[in-house]
Amino acid sequence: MNSIIDVENLNFSYSTRTILKDLSFKVMQGTFLTIVGPNGAGKTTLLNLLCGLLRPKAGSIKIDAAYIESYSIKNLAQKIAVVRQEFVPVFDFTVTEVVSMARAPYSGMFGFETKADRKFVKESLEMTDTAQFAARSLKELSGGERQLVFIARALAQNTPILLLDEPTSFLDLKHQVGIYDLLKSAQLEKGKTILAVTHDINLAIQYCDQILLLGADNSYQYGREEDIFSSQQIEKVFGVRTFTGKVGLKKFFLPLGKFAKDNKTISSESAD
Amino acid sequence: MAASLTLKKLVFRVITCSILLVLIMTLCCFVGTQKISFKKILAGPSDTPGENIDYEIFFGVRLPRVILAALVGAALACSGVVLQAILRNPLADPYILGISSGAGLGVIIAVLSGMTWSFWAGSPIAVFAFAGALITVWLVWCIGHLAGKSQMISLLLAGVVVNAFFSAVIMFLTSIAKSQQVYSTIFWLMGNITEKNIPVLWISASFILAGIFGLFSLSHKLNILTFGEEEAKGLGVDTAKTRVTAFGFAAFITAIAVSLSGLVGFVGLIIPHGVRMVLGPDHRQLLPVSAIIGSAFLVVADTLARIVVAPAQLPVGVITAITGGPFFLILLAKYTKKVSWLK
Repeated sequence: MNSIIDVENLNFSYSTRTILKDLSFKVMQGTFLTIVGPNGAGKTTLLNLLCGLLRPKAGSIKIDAAYIESYSIKNLAQKIAVVRQEFVPVFDFTVTEVVSMARAPYSGMFGFETKADRKFVKESLEMTDTAQFAARSLKELSGGERQLVFIARALAQNTPILLLDEPTSFLDLKHQVGIYDLLKSAQLEKGKTILAVTHDINLAIQYCDQILLLGADNSYQYGREEDIFSSQQIEKVFGVRTFTGKVGLKKFFLPLGKFAKDNKTISSESAD
Repeated sequence: MAASLTLKKLVFRVITCSILLVLIMTLCCFVGTQKISFKKILAGPSDTPGENIDYEIFFGVRLPRVILAALVGAALACSGVVLQAILRNPLADPYILGISSGAGLGVIIAVLSGMTWSFWAGSPIAVFAFAGALITVWLVWCIGHLAGKSQMISLLLAGVVVNAFFSAVIMFLTSIAKSQQVYSTIFWLMGNITEKNIPVLWISASFILAGIFGLFSLSHKLNILTFGEEEAKGLGVDTAKTRVTAFGFAAFITAIAVSLSGLVGFVGLIIPHGVRMVLGPDHRQLLPVSAIIGSAFLVVADTLARIVVAPAQLPVGVITAITGGPFFLILLAKYTKKVSWLK
């Protein structure tokens, strides 16, 4: 197996503020990677670098063994699909129309969908359970449903890599779990490489293979999820004490602030 | 799964609308102060001029004028569609954003500085109009960027200011011009369709149709551009290139429309909205259908302008503004409500 994403000594800064410093990691094909870290650690910036929206100040990014700069916008869109936080578009496009736009990187001059395009669209709608409201406008959907539509669009783009920026923020429990299940099945059934930025450490532990933990001080740790997360590590990076428990195989972390009801019991009962 | 737009469906709809347009155009050719009989037209031109007056009025006067109105309507409607997509603002329109008056200023400058000579039915007037339109597009775009996220209203305000400024300059230039020029210029500024000679018509038609075709080839990218810069790039659209090309084409057809008929307002606002309400926002369909419906709309408006105060004539811009103004206010109320709801 080859690494499909290869980041080497990546540096990025906005004017004087350094966001990423000497960041290096490799992602194997078919890996589920979550990127976690406190606000301002550069998670979204990294995502924007990986999809070519931003250019690194130094260092390199290789996608599928070729430097990212060597891709045209169209070719890169055949490798990487991005899901940003859901939003309401200006015009009343229907769900099918939105998902069909995923075929743009493959389309000819006038952008009419071929039979093959329509098949991809149909499959993604069915896989994400959005086929039931395919004819409805995005404006009529709830936030969770809209997020599913954007994931359907990313799947219809048929790229080996999926990037997601906080796909479950603002969603209720059912939708959060639903989206992670969906991503996992895309990984397992279609062999997709998935990189998701998230604040939900516990969901990340349950679903992902690798973790990239970005600290606010430009430090980072990269590795298997069980090697990265410990209550000490989380306290160090996020500045929050946690209760660490275990459900079967995996640990979970419950953040407890100063006034949390169980604050006093943290140290004594921690399984860590 | 809901049926999405296919090429077959699009061709069918475009043909249906075109037939409708041709019917309306023919009908409007028969309307006017002078009654025309269908029989006499079929009889063909007579050997001695002046014998078959009906034929001469139909082909020499009314048909060219109807075709001109159709061309201007198509250009303005398409320009509106494209501006709304790129600026991601459903209230954009070449007239409201001041692009028409930018082109108008170009025309006035060309006329007043005496550059009205023509080569092969083209003249510096069109070049000046295009330059004026491009500069205004660029101005509006920069202001839109400065305005940032609250651009829905600030962009419109920028348009109002640009419009007011250019109108003032136009008024200043006309008031220092020779008096015989003033009357026709003022009529022209209100948006006036008059009889043009046939070569001008053909050249303008081919330019406008080429511009619309160019925009049509971008229309699936325009769909994606309405989702914003980041999303569009993620879907493989070269946003900078698409935007510049689309703005260029839109400014081009607006400039030709303005140099033909002056400042005709609100066509680019009303028509795309109407079509979008019925057929949805897919630009591959919205653009060609808006072109055809825009044509029909302006042909009817111009016919009204010919007959309402007959035998005198109204500038067609008066008719479009009277219908378009209230329409704009309704839309403004609707969208500003939606924006605050989004926050």
